[in-house]
Amino acid sequence: MTPSRLLLGVIAVITALMLQLAAIGRLPLPGAAPDLLLVLVLAFALAEGPMSGAVTGFLAGLLADCFASHELGRLSLAYALAGYVAGNLHDDTDRSTLQPFGAVATGALVALGAFSFEGLLLGDHRITWHTVARVAVSSVPYDVVLTPFVVPLVAGLVRRLDVDPLRRL
Amino acid sequence: MRGSRRTRLTLVLLLLTAFTLTALDYNSAQSGPLASLRRGIDTVFGPVQRAVGSASSSVGSALGGLPRLGSYQSDNKKLKLENDTLKGQLAAQAGLQCRYDQAVALQNFTNFTKYPTVPAHVIGVGASADFEWTATLDVGTLDGVKKAMTVVTGYGLVGRTITVSRDTTVVLLINDPNSTVGGWLVGPDLIGFAMGKGSAPLNLSFSGRDVVKKGTVVLTLGSTYAAGIPVGTVTSTTYDPNGTIRTAQVAPFVDVTHLGLVGVIVQPRRTTPRAPFLPIAPGASPTSTPCPAGVPNGPVPTSRPTATPRTSVTPSSSPSPTRTP
Repeated sequence: MTPSRLLLGVIAVITALMLQLAAIGRLPLPGAAPDLLLVLVLAFALAEGPMSGAVTGFLAGLLADCFASHELGRLSLAYALAGYVAGNLHDDTDRSTLQPFGAVATGALVALGAFSFEGLLLGDHRITWHTVARVAVSSVPYDVVLTPFVVPLVAGLVRRLDVDPLRRL
Repeated sequence: MRGSRRTRLTLVLLLLTAFTLTALDYNSAQSGPLASLRRGIDTVFGPVQRAVGSASSSVGSALGGLPRLGSYQSDNKKLKLENDTLKGQLAAQAGLQCRYDQAVALQNFTNFTKYPTVPAHVIGVGASADFEWTATLDVGTLDGVKKAMTVVTGYGLVGRTITVSRDTTVVLLINDPNSTVGGWLVGPDLIGFAMGKGSAPLNLSFSGRDVVKKGTVVLTLGSTYAAGIPVGTVTSTTYDPNGTIRTAQVAPFVDVTHLGLVGVIVQPRRTTPRAPFLPIAPGASPTSTPCPAGVPNGPVPTSRPTATPRTSVTPSSSPSPTRTP
């Protein structure tokens, strides 16, 4: 892990979070808004593997938790799990054009499931079947739509910074 | 898979940390180090957020086209919804007005008769409407309703309770073929029994040779039913020159097919004995004591002036005109 890679992660996460809070969350889209930060985490997972995905997810989620009204650590758990799963998916399958889309969809569903499950455990009454289903049919497809914009960008940036392209965590 | 073990360990550690944070934050709602961490981060990022927010909103208003199309659609949908809501409110208001009129009538009736009356809504009618004339009310033993209590509206007699559960009550309506109401013909002072005939008027049989005029008011006698409740008016009488029993057709004051708000008279059975009449000293004039208007208690002696207070009920002999089907 080089300092420049660390800086890339920090800048990317903060930018994505700010865009998410200020712009994307307010888009007049039907249903729930896309989650740019989650797509970014999944893009890092796809570019670098499950370790990077889990760590990036944890830190990005923790930062996002600070801006949310729920308990700290809920999004970080969900994002870490989603990053790990997406990174593993990438490792296990061979490359194809559709493969990142599937990984993002899976990761988004994992994050949604983990977040909702945690909400159920904590007795968060905002988590209902209705809201979960709404996010699953609106936010998850939006995340998949963001994939072709975010995933190649992150992959390109990571490749440019990486001294050893063969190294995978 | 390289580093898979290490990755898994890291993942478990991260998940545990996240969950610990959640648990800590869950317990310390608005205080503690985690809350101050959150406040600190909000303070650091606040200006950035504001800047990005204003920039994105100006960009958004410049782009503007696609979202606005959506907003027209949502406006349309909103207006439709509002229209539907207003229509619903209007209908609800008409219903309220109707209920209000019924409630006022029932209140007047209660004031007049002094019977304690529990208001109730009719929530159902008999299953086979032409054979069995019953209605279900939304009151029960919870409200002090018992079996064989009299049910009225503001205009007259409806029936009596036959089955009472905790929250609901079934009422046998006066026009049910199984129902018999002891009636008192007010003008000629005759006693008879009004039997239900389904959708036809009640059949009041009485003994005697008096002429019963059309429009004579029938009140309840006060055995099965509370006394002095208006039942209906005589519409026609059949005279059999040989028989001793005559029958009169009685049109009920209450249209039992359009019941809304009704009242259940929850008067308990009297326990104190009736006081006897005592001779009054020659000096006092017995006529000076006013007749206690509106406390009917069975048939009153003939000497009483012909039920003048009760005729105040008769103007409303037709069922409430404001009723909606």
